[in-house]
Amino acid sequence: MDYIAQGVIQAFVLLWTGDEETWSAIYTTVKMSSISIAVCLALGTPLGFILGYADFPGKKGVRTVVNTLLALPTVAVGLVVYAFISRRGPLGELGLLFTVSGMAVGQIILALPVVVALTANAVESMDERLRLTLLTLGADGKRLALSTLYEARYAVLLAAANAYGRVISEVGVSMMLGGNIKWHTRTITTAISLETGKGEFALGIALGLVLLILAFAVNSVLSLARQRATI
Amino acid sequence: MTPLYELQGVVRRYGDRVALDVPELAIHPGEIVGLVGPNGSGKSTLLRTLAFLDPPDEGMLLFRGAPACPATPELRRQATLLLQEPYLLKTSIFENVAYGVRLRGEKDPVGRVRKALEAVGLDYDAFARRPWHALSGGEAQRVALASRLALRPAVLLLDEPTASVDASSAGAVRNAILSAVRQDGTTLVVVSHDLLWLYEVASRTVGLRGGRVVASGAENVLAGRWERKEGEPGHLVLEDGQGVMAPPMPLGATMGLLSPEAIALSILPPGGSAPRNVLKGTVGQMFWERGPHRVLVRVGVGSLSLAVRMTADAVRDQGIHPGREVWLSFDPSALRWGS
Amino acid sequence: MKRTMRILSLVTLVLMLATAAFAAPVLRMATTTSTEDTGLLDYMEPFFRQATGIELQWVAVGTGKALELGKNCDVDVLLVHAPSAEKIYVQEGHGVNRRQVMYNDFVLLGPAADPAKVKGLAVGEALKAIAAAKQPFVSRGDKSGTHVAELVLWKGAGMEAPDKDAWYISTGQGMIQTINVAGEKNGYTLADRGTFIKYEANAKGNPPVVILVEGDSALRNQYSVIAVNPAKCANVQYDLALKYADWMVSPETQKLIADFKLEGKQLFFPNADE
Repeated sequence: MDYIAQGVIQAFVLLWTGDEETWSAIYTTVKMSSISIAVCLALGTPLGFILGYADFPGKKGVRTVVNTLLALPTVAVGLVVYAFISRRGPLGELGLLFTVSGMAVGQIILALPVVVALTANAVESMDERLRLTLLTLGADGKRLALSTLYEARYAVLLAAANAYGRVISEVGVSMMLGGNIKWHTRTITTAISLETGKGEFALGIALGLVLLILAFAVNSVLSLARQRATI
Repeated sequence: MTPLYELQGVVRRYGDRVALDVPELAIHPGEIVGLVGPNGSGKSTLLRTLAFLDPPDEGMLLFRGAPACPATPELRRQATLLLQEPYLLKTSIFENVAYGVRLRGEKDPVGRVRKALEAVGLDYDAFARRPWHALSGGEAQRVALASRLALRPAVLLLDEPTASVDASSAGAVRNAILSAVRQDGTTLVVVSHDLLWLYEVASRTVGLRGGRVVASGAENVLAGRWERKEGEPGHLVLEDGQGVMAPPMPLGATMGLLSPEAIALSILPPGGSAPRNVLKGTVGQMFWERGPHRVLVRVGVGSLSLAVRMTADAVRDQGIHPGREVWLSFDPSALRWGS
Repeated sequence: MKRTMRILSLVTLVLMLATAAFAAPVLRMATTTSTEDTGLLDYMEPFFRQATGIELQWVAVGTGKALELGKNCDVDVLLVHAPSAEKIYVQEGHGVNRRQVMYNDFVLLGPAADPAKVKGLAVGEALKAIAAAKQPFVSRGDKSGTHVAELVLWKGAGMEAPDKDAWYISTGQGMIQTINVAGEKNGYTLADRGTFIKYEANAKGNPPVVILVEGDSALRNQYSVIAVNPAKCANVQYDLALKYADWMVSPETQKLIADFKLEGKQLFFPNADE
């Protein structure tokens, strides 16, 4: 029981005293997940919007594929991406393995379906009154699409927060593609995994607590967005 | 004068259901047309058609004499529709009202937004910066109306503008609508359950039932279980046992139509030997009709409500008031058949 | 659209910068969890950087995975402890210049009550006794150096690893987790001494499992450094790998290794000169 209390105390000590290793892991986590989410939003929002907004043959099939990708096992993603970015793999020349960018590639593959699917759902379930209102106020074509996307912005934020939550708490891909290299690719989750391996439960709990705080922050954004999205 | 709208054989279907079937209808500039009819009778569909939002599956829709299908953006900007449940964009009140104004190329919409908000009785300084979710239902409806009024459209289409708002908002909405009509000569097509107001403002009412225009103005619809026998007069027994005679019913007919002018109203049982339908009823509501300059008296007979149109003088002379028992009589041959 | 383009180019820039940060001379090593978990690498890394100006980055995995990373050219050098597997690896031409650096030793752990009566036996006899008594034996089962060593010990005891028997538990996890499982199951297990010292320290003097067999020459755990073969991996930084290997076997470094202590106990014994 001791080590739980110890862990909580140590968490605050580590954060308060600016423990370099802890903050390095936090920094890496935030950097890796921010890069991933930025790319996911840049790619996923337009894709999701088109998927939810436009009508095209085979749309149902694409939706099914995207929804399946939501359940991609992280280990499988890690393995496939590893095979590609390993120096022997087809993308080996890029030297992405064991870098933050390499981890981000894996996370993007994991989180992109979340952004695409949630954006598509949000756009698809937009109020029919929105379309009528925009049309009757004189919008059409591109303006109609952009205004619809703007109306869906809280839902997109919701998607981003969901994806962010998935990325920061993920461990398999980070471990496999990042290699848990100290000062470079050690994230909070891989550090927890390492500390547990070393038997340093207290430090693991401390890092877990940090993750919890991050998740709490993300969830606060999420509930705010959800509120706005449904008003 | 070229009518503003002309509908010829317009049919709109949703799946197998015919939502709208209008063989002929014309609306002239400056008219105030009231649409009446039960729920699901096609009023909202007709409004969306007139707003160029819902193109008909069949038939011709003409606007100022030119075909309006498919609707160009310029054409769509001639008319604007106020939805029954207002939808505000997730932004400030100012941006809501300015949205359409900006689309029309107005670089500085402040003046028009201010005017439109004030027209619906909302203080610009107090409301312009508010977010969309900080409004009551009535205020939201007024903002939605303001966003339409700011466009100064040729046609304003209103779907139950006062149905879901409080009394003071309803008053503000009605005032704003009328001042738009007076100042800009806006043509108005209104759906409303507020018949008192509708009959007062409308220059004409159009009745809809099952997607069809069944009557123009306050035409009476005698629907029920008509007895039909080949070659014999039609016969309808009302709930309270009174009967209505009619000309022989053709195949396919389902209801009788009776003009409000065809009914005579008296406070004593009518005499005379001519074969007339005579019904006893109670006066319900009375409406002042601005258009025909008459009083429309609604008389309850059994479960039917029959409208009788008379002069204001006749109403006064006979001492007619709500609650009064009266006698109605009309020639069976005045009944027309509808389907 | 413009905004989307801006975001995209920003993201590209960030990605490029993140990659560029790794442009400094970096030697990448795959090693085993024991060197990382004991803190040996953290202890030695600053000395290496000072001596050579090279930044050492390591990925700590099981020896099997470490050899695999070398085969895939993903690392430049290996620091591993599975001599039998290493020899095959070098024979197949994946690695060159294998040099032994140091050793520590394995210990056989078990419950203090010792139901199989193995305390003080030679390790081969002890394994036979456990098998005969059908007492739980917890194995790493992850192709790590410890696992490979365990398999060699079973062979030395004249039997194959009893993979299918119910009392033989294969965890597929790290050393600490495996010791924990042994503690929970009242079983025996083979562990490296360093990990056990940490485990013992965490248990505050009352560990569920204790050392029952130690000091047998068969329990020696030899660590070697191997450079990844540049003939097979064109991208590999062979010169840096050689510098690391040279540094590891130099007398100064060998002394550093001997000086490294965990909970006041020496863990690794330099033997580059053997």
